Amino acid sequence: MSIGGQMEEPKLGGTETEDPQKLAEFQARIDSGDLIERDDWMPEAYRTGMLRMAEHHANSEIVGALPEGEWITRAPSLRRKLALIAKVQDEVGHGLMLYRVAEDLGKPRDQMLRDLIEGRTKYHNVFNYPVPTWADVAMIAWLVDGAAILNQKTLADGSYAPYVRTMRRINAEEAFHFKHGEDMVLTLMSGTGRQKQMAQEAFDRWWWPVLMFFGPPDKESRHNAPHLKWRIKTASNDTLRQKFVNRFVPAALDLGFRIPDPNLRREDRTGNWLTSPPDWDEFFRVIRGNGPCNAKRLALRRLSYEQGQWVRRAVTGQLGLSAA
Amino acid sequence: MTSRKLSKPADLPDDLRPILADWLLAAADDVFLLGHRNSDWTGLAPMLEEDLAFSSIAQDEIAHAQAYYLLVSELTGQPPDKLAYGRSPVQYRCAHLVERTDDFDWARAVVRQFFYEHYGWLRLQRMVRSAYQPLAELSGKIAQEEKFHLEHLDDWAVRLGTGTDESRTRAQRAVDKLWPDALCLFEPVDGEQRLVEAAIFPSAGCDIRRAWFEEVSRVLDRAGLTVPSADGMDRSSCPPGGRRGVRSESFGELFAELAEVYRIEPDARW
Amino acid sequence: MSKIRENLPGPADGQPLPAEPLTRVYEVFLQPTRNEPHVQVGSVNAADDQMALDFARETFGRRQACAHIWVVRRDHLVGTVYGEDFMERACDRGYREARGYQEVRRKWEQFRRKGDVDEYQKDDLKEAF
Repeated sequence: MSIGGQMEEPKLGGTETEDPQKLAEFQARIDSGDLIERDDWMPEAYRTGMLRMAEHHANSEIVGALPEGEWITRAPSLRRKLALIAKVQDEVGHGLMLYRVAEDLGKPRDQMLRDLIEGRTKYHNVFNYPVPTWADVAMIAWLVDGAAILNQKTLADGSYAPYVRTMRRINAEEAFHFKHGEDMVLTLMSGTGRQKQMAQEAFDRWWWPVLMFFGPPDKESRHNAPHLKWRIKTASNDTLRQKFVNRFVPAALDLGFRIPDPNLRREDRTGNWLTSPPDWDEFFRVIRGNGPCNAKRLALRRLSYEQGQWVRRAVTGQLGLSAA
Repeated sequence: MTSRKLSKPADLPDDLRPILADWLLAAADDVFLLGHRNSDWTGLAPMLEEDLAFSSIAQDEIAHAQAYYLLVSELTGQPPDKLAYGRSPVQYRCAHLVERTDDFDWARAVVRQFFYEHYGWLRLQRMVRSAYQPLAELSGKIAQEEKFHLEHLDDWAVRLGTGTDESRTRAQRAVDKLWPDALCLFEPVDGEQRLVEAAIFPSAGCDIRRAWFEEVSRVLDRAGLTVPSADGMDRSSCPPGGRRGVRSESFGELFAELAEVYRIEPDARW
Repeated sequence: MSKIRENLPGPADGQPLPAEPLTRVYEVFLQPTRNEPHVQVGSVNAADDQMALDFARETFGRRQACAHIWVVRRDHLVGTVYGEDFMERACDRGYREARGYQEVRRKWEQFRRKGDVDEYQKDDLKEAF
């Protein structure tokens, strides 16, 4: 899913050592809407900022493949099974394309995989929550992918050409993920009492994690400025969150969901739906590694990596290439 | 051998219809469970790129299963999902080979698929000449996709066999372990000979099992792997198995997982 | 294998994972249908040419129309350099562009009525302007 950008933003490095003339020309290119290619001159801070963003996004894709992947073997119909396999497969494919973008900015893919597994780099918080029922699979594809879609245009409006091109391809592939999610939720809410109850309970579990998906409130986000200036990031957390709420609250209410927020109300003047503030303490607790599934996600990635070592050696060992 | 075109279920002689349904179920159940097992690797395969390829192969198998189940549905009236998820264990017609877990061993997953692809390919060559038109047409489409599978799995067998000492050892271990079950792929369903006589599953004039052995041996030789003994090649060494509704000890757990959500509301839409 | 997802081994023993050898980068050119040109769609890591082709097919040809693929090792590609190789012409090259001949219309109107020139110019290649 197109979830890049919603992270606890790392600081961009400084630009004090850069040639001011080149910096100004670079900024002018960005401001005029020019895209930056891999071989173009770029400030070191931009290069590392883009690399970290692509890396974080790639990590999120391959970790994100795990919670839904748990349900492939239990999908309840042939069509749902095929769609879920294809969705998870797409996420792996997106991860691999994004690792390519990051690798071309200067970090070997293998290093990125090891940093992820050993906890030195992060991935999107939303994948640290458990997926206990089939209805959770439906909720993720509807709500979480729905949130990610709101990001689509903003990421494809960025300044770094290889990332922008990758985002366009990712967006095209993801269109069906959301439709599949909608289809599952609509089917559950047209189904039996047990299916509707399963769906409501899953909705209760995912509503708040999805609101926090967009990241902390703008006023608490310290590092927005350089990201926006260089179009590494192109939209604010709060703007996107409000868009999401305005789209999904009326839809959920029409489907018959109860939204787990006693203070939810519609502001007549603006038409905005206003929610209670999410529990940001929990957000930061989870992002720092104390979420319900953090350890499990990384343990599974580590297992996959370790179990695959002998295979990779068999495939690449004969090539005789060594790390540069 | 009949020369009349069998273009729809009503054209089939009454007594052939249940045999054909059983035979199609064998094909469907094989690829459904293979696809099911292999799709569990999505996100966890040894290389991201191969993850995509192996997952595509798994999706192809499940899509093929769906198409076979549709043909059965035209004969028996049961919807495909009910066939896939809702029969009793004794009604399934898959070979034991596809029921087994691979224990998260890449060598086992690859070698199993390699064995199956060669079996499937040989059958498809005959199925495209089936007197039953719907089967001939479907087989043509499936064969187009399976060609890529075959090449891909042959490449993997060779890559593992000729890679490192460790990969060769693991691949050989998988070949040896899976060999007895692979031989039982060729168990016929009850009454299969009638389908051969009616040219619904045309005979090749040669033993399909022998052809499989030769082709698989050729690739294993190229891979530097030892071909297990041909001793188990005659029919008598296979006890009644998957094609006759006898399930392996692996089936129970597989089936419980596969149908876990389906069983919450078997008649509902999901 | 699903049991693996549930019964995971405990936390790592702290041993760092050893680095693995690199693969090569291949650029991928994909032809959506037979009548179209190939387009560069991205790149893949692979150990050899055949693997690169297989991986390219899966990564880029899986979810879009794909009739044909070329893969080329990136270190085998020869190209120009942004900023150093000057790709645009600075001086006017109107003599070899259709839109450099705007005055032709006026010259026709010395000889022919406006309506007849309109009719005559219908067959001009509009895209060239």
